[in-house]
Amino acid sequence: MRTLKQFTDEINKCVLCGTCRSVCPTFGVVNREPASARGKVALCGAFLNKEIGLSDGFIKQMNECVQCMACRTACPNDVNVPDIILAARAKIAKEKGLPFAKSFILKNILDSERLMPTAMKFASKLQGLLFKGVPEESGLHRRFSLPLIDERRLVPPLADRFFLEEQRARGKGEIASALPRNDITPNPELRTLNSKPRVGFFAGCLINYMLPNIGEASLKVLEKAGASVIIPYDQHCCGMPALGMGDVETAKSLVIKNLEAFEQYDMDYITTACATCGDGLKRRFKELLSDEGEDVRKRVERFAGKVRDITELLVNELRIQNSEFNRKSKIVNSKSEIVTYHDPCHLRRGQGIADVPREIIEISGAKLKEMSHPCRCCGLGGTFNITNYDFSMAINRDKAEDIKNTGADIVATACPGCIIQMKDGLHQLGADTKVVHVVELLASHLTSPLRGED
Amino acid sequence: MFSKSIIKELTHIVGKDNIRIDKEDLICYSYDATNQKFLPDAVVFPQNASEISLILRMANNEGFSVVPRGAGSGFSGGSLPVEGGVVVSLERMNKILRIDTDNLIAEVEPGVVTGEFQWAVEDLGLFYPPDPSSLKFCTIGGNVAECAGGPRAVKYGVTKDYVLGLEIVLPTGEIINTGAQTLKGVVGYDLTRLMVGSEGTLGIVTKIILKLLPLPEATKTMLAVFSDMRDAAAAVSRIISSKIIPSTLEFMDKNSISCVDDYVSMGLPADVEALLLIEVDGVKELVENQAETIKKICLDNRAKEVRIAGDKKEVKKLWQIRRAISPALAKLKPNKINEDIVVPRSKIPDAIIGVREIAKKYNLTNANFGHAGDGNIHVNIMIDKSDKAESERAEKAVKEIFELILGLGGTISGEHGIGISKMPYIGMELSQSAIDAMKKIKQVLDPKGVLNPGKIFPRS
Ligand SMILES: Cc1cc2nc3c(=O)[nH]c(=O)nc-3n(C[C@H](O)[C@H](O)[C@H](O)COP(=O)(O)OP(=O)(O)OC[C@H]3O[C@@H](n4cnc5c(N)ncnc54)[C@H](O)[C@@H]3O)c2cc1C
Ligand code: SF4
Ligand code: SF4
Repeated sequence: MRTLKQFTDEINKCVLCGTCRSVCPTFGVVNREPASARGKVALCGAFLNKEIGLSDGFIKQMNECVQCMACRTACPNDVNVPDIILAARAKIAKEKGLPFAKSFILKNILDSERLMPTAMKFASKLQGLLFKGVPEESGLHRRFSLPLIDERRLVPPLADRFFLEEQRARGKGEIASALPRNDITPNPELRTLNSKPRVGFFAGCLINYMLPNIGEASLKVLEKAGASVIIPYDQHCCGMPALGMGDVETAKSLVIKNLEAFEQYDMDYITTACATCGDGLKRRFKELLSDEGEDVRKRVERFAGKVRDITELLVNELRIQNSEFNRKSKIVNSKSEIVTYHDPCHLRRGQGIADVPREIIEISGAKLKEMSHPCRCCGLGGTFNITNYDFSMAINRDKAEDIKNTGADIVATACPGCIIQMKDGLHQLGADTKVVHVVELLASHLTSPLRGED
Repeated sequence: MFSKSIIKELTHIVGKDNIRIDKEDLICYSYDATNQKFLPDAVVFPQNASEISLILRMANNEGFSVVPRGAGSGFSGGSLPVEGGVVVSLERMNKILRIDTDNLIAEVEPGVVTGEFQWAVEDLGLFYPPDPSSLKFCTIGGNVAECAGGPRAVKYGVTKDYVLGLEIVLPTGEIINTGAQTLKGVVGYDLTRLMVGSEGTLGIVTKIILKLLPLPEATKTMLAVFSDMRDAAAAVSRIISSKIIPSTLEFMDKNSISCVDDYVSMGLPADVEALLLIEVDGVKELVENQAETIKKICLDNRAKEVRIAGDKKEVKKLWQIRRAISPALAKLKPNKINEDIVVPRSKIPDAIIGVREIAKKYNLTNANFGHAGDGNIHVNIMIDKSDKAESERAEKAVKEIFELILGLGGTISGEHGIGISKMPYIGMELSQSAIDAMKKIKQVLDPKGVLNPGKIFPRS
């Protein structure tokens, strides 16, 4: 990954015009220049010119960024502010170490063995301790601090059984074509016998630990769309949280571990239902590993080339919009509820995907009603909300109001992080809008209902 | 560096949370869109006129300077604390106080972002026309101080045409109200007009009463592509002489367009010398007719293509091209000398051809765009500051350009103001007596010279 110093030219590209003030969500809350994208670039420039050191003030401003990329999109000079800030965070982490809470999370949860057993260990450690006396309200339970989650946050309950664990319990080997259940083919046979597109499923932390329904829905829809799904159990956290905190080494080692987990299988595509994981797997990790040996770079390149967000895989590759899928899966939507769509930053700006999730909403038979600012960041900002929960919810307030004002029954999106954030925000606003992933919406209207749903 | 006692007193006035003296904060208030930097000694975020009044009184007693600042998007260095002192950031005085739909007026605090105000009144079916390209982030206070204008000026005028009254803190600390809440008012001198465009040197604006219009029923936006600049200019003259006043008549030359990535992606002709972005507004049927007439005029004047935006998305795209130009010019060369000259409308081709000749003579990269409707053209000389020889040539070229413009009956700044950027040239346009008269006004209102010193007038 480029160091902050190597971003000098990028920083000098900034002409200090101020355009990014109009889109930067942290500025929107604070209303002071240092919180704006322009201020942050200016501070990085001042640091490189040795006008300031790694002071508390500098560190604070570098932390106060949700990595939404809105500045980059708005900037007429294409200044890559979010990556400049990541490079500054890497510099800070290297020189100053990670703050305790963050390093605890990273070392104990994200960077240990694999997602599944780690999660179990982690949960069993904390279960008794933190689940006591928690009030339960409208499906949101205040539980315990998960990798990306502030402990005051109202979160969905920790899944009874983590997604990967559940999948393994259902299958035998490491390859599971998820549905129907008994159609589990061992690796070599799958290769020779099965001509369907082979899709590796990358779960990601939030789907694995907290929102396994999204994983279930993805598998169901993928199956109906004619794909064979492979779920490597050896997969890890994607590495985006570590990268966001500036812990470049941990991020790198996670990427390598995931490469190893997925390279064992012959896959046409690798898909994820998490916009943030997808942005990392597709784009950011190439930059992250750009200073590694050619061999590693090639491997990441190959891996990244196969990654598709679940929404684009379904529409652009598996073409579920064609009538065959519709006929086979017999979409029934007698309710035709009104759905509004929130664009996750890492999907829209990170991966340039905006139309296909909307198309899926329409395929599901729901009526799409746009909110005023669908691309405005929900405020979660990866690790940002651990250290800045109140700040993060202040950014969310506009979003929650925007959603409420549409009068929609459901807000759909394509990122589990956004879902958790919007649930919390809407709850605080007293709105009862349902929050779902677009694949959940689609799956809920397929004729055979999902496990646990009616 | 300020003494502890000054900091203490300032803190006492604005409160602990509303003063910053750390280097990191000072750096963030040291620049504006001119890309120049001067560190202040402190930044304060007052909440009302009384706090600002106390700060100015203190400045007069202690002898430090005070520099008002909106969004720091200025193009002439008006908000730069060239002599250090206190930056008074109006970022937090950002409330729309009222929108009076019966009398079509509104009252706002200076830190309100222009675009946000426009959307708020549009929601009520009203219209605030002044539209600097920076409208999404600049403040109304900054617009008042610079008398900002935009594309709509050709039909609707500029900021000064909408300011009915002001609340101002004078440099010596008195709080006064100017103007009236009514459309008419002639009691005493017109201090409102004096303050509008005074670049933060005669007072700090703390409240603004603005005139509103009913929102036009319909608008039509179109883009015309020309392979000869004279054809574009001829089209402009013909549009105006056919008694249509478009609400926008923007011009962009080849070099400007080449910087905007969106242009190519829109599938517009590549080989182009000039673009006109034209908008008409008013009653629906009229607008349709006018759009067709304009299209015909453009085609009659050899436009290669005229594209009328079909929906809101397309309108946005067409505007995106225009709004992106100014900052995107940095793709040509890292530094920009940006002059917003004005000439009589009919002289635009002469001005641009003249400017290009001068640029060629000094071997400089030049790009021009701007408001063809009112003759206000942004002339940009793109340089690399680290190239000393080039910078010197640019300086000579700028002087020659101003001579050319004044010779054509024009003016050297249409909307960005003088600040520090154009200070050396003010004497080319104004007589010494005129400058002296202005300096006397400044001297009377600000005898100790505490408010925004080092701006507009070169030291004699
Ligand atoms: C990309 C871009 C495009 C632009 N396009 C245009 C355009 O089309 N038309 C145009 O006219 N300008 C344009 N500008 C210039 C600039 O946006 C305007 O001059 C704007 O009015 C400045 O507003 P601001 O809030 O940023 O003020 P600042 O830059 O902060 O300050 C400008 C001046 O106003 C003074 N000031 C600010 N607030 C107050 C107050 N409350 N009381 C007294 N003085 C005050 C400051 O001291 C300073 O002298 C553009 C700038 C950019 C970066
Ligand atoms: S929009 Fe781009 S060039 Fe302008 S201040 Fe922001 S980062 Fe700098
Ligand atoms: S990425 Fe988002 S939060 Fe960070 S500086 Fe850019 S606009 Fe602001």
